[in-house]
Amino acid sequence: MPKLIFRLLLTFFVFVGVFILIQRSVTPDSFGKYGHYRANSLDDNRMKPFYYKGEAKCTECHQDVFDQKASDLHDAVRCESCHTPKIPGSIDCKVKPPIVKGTIQFCAQCHAINAGRLEKGVPQLDFKEHYEKQNCIECHNPHAPWELKEK
Amino acid sequence: MGTERKINNRRKFFQTSAALVGGTLLYSLIKPFEALSQSKEEATKIAKEDLPLWGMGVDLERCVGCGKCAEACKIENNVPKEPFYFRTWVEQYTVKKDGEVKIESPNGGIGGLKQSVPDEDIFKSFMVPKLCNHCTKAPCVQACPVGATFISPDGVVLVDDTYCIGCSYCIQACPYGARFMNPVTKVADKCTFCYHRITKGLLPACVEACPTDARIFGDLRNKESDLVKFLQENPTQVLKPHLNTHSRVFYNGLSSEVK
Repeated sequence: MPKLIFRLLLTFFVFVGVFILIQRSVTPDSFGKYGHYRANSLDDNRMKPFYYKGEAKCTECHQDVFDQKASDLHDAVRCESCHTPKIPGSIDCKVKPPIVKGTIQFCAQCHAINAGRLEKGVPQLDFKEHYEKQNCIECHNPHAPWELKEK
Repeated sequence: MGTERKINNRRKFFQTSAALVGGTLLYSLIKPFEALSQSKEEATKIAKEDLPLWGMGVDLERCVGCGKCAEACKIENNVPKEPFYFRTWVEQYTVKKDGEVKIESPNGGIGGLKQSVPDEDIFKSFMVPKLCNHCTKAPCVQACPVGATFISPDGVVLVDDTYCIGCSYCIQACPYGARFMNPVTKVADKCTFCYHRITKGLLPACVEACPTDARIFGDLRNKESDLVKFLQENPTQVLKPHLNTHSRVFYNGLSSEVK
């Protein structure tokens, strides 16, 4: 083999070899295990902390409230729809209780009159006419809205 | 003597480099076969039929536009509170009597949507919750130059936030506008169906928070799941079917005005 060709081939193989070495060193672990991505990223996505605990967890302590809710119109509304968590779900919720004030603005999120909400089974109210200056929970029990409180 | 040493050195150098390159090449030749011998093991580990295939149904006949889902999503996934970063949001479509369609979504619907058109002008009005459609043929996955966004074996489009380079090609590629650049992490961010929750057996935060059960989440492969039941009972549609993305978010009661 002429010296020139040998050198050319050698250089070529060195380049290919260096390319493969670099590629191997910069490709992260587990890349390509299931597809063109880092398989460990699935675990990274799984490891994120959660906030919402789910109704079953709330019921462990608040069975009485759950039973009351189940007996009235808000039965399909889950606890955390209103009681939005303030701390991650792995911490006891007593650390920062998810208390809701039950103001008109809060209840109006679902119950304010809106043309897009009609005929969906959710009562619609004009809060200007319906006790403008009171909080809803002064009369209604939010867990059983038709159990009106006496004043 | 000096020249001899030089030659010897050069010979040694060539020998070692040839050995190095030869070894690497040999290894790269063996490697594919190695994968063949291992693939059986992996195949059992990740048999697709045993995995769930996650999807979501959205019942527009039930959505009241309270924005609880958008709020819950922000809490659950630490999405910045500014009103232009959303993984999921609710739009209110109002078709006026003169045919004009008004689409609004102030703060993504958080705090409850309010109708801005006077009642006498309205022909019809409805709410449309939007989120990542978790396409089977996802344009964002095709656009990603580094493989930082991908479809997981259980059918969820995820972002690898340690590997994303923040080029925002995927944000441009998404036909549903479901992605955004997270100003804190500086990488692309999107709905993950709350992957950290569904793999623990919990429901996604938006489904958990919905007071009217307008969102139905479940496994498309499990014939007894709520989602399959929802699909059987209702005539559903996906958004932008002409784009052939084969999305896995199904809408019941979708009007033709929805884009």
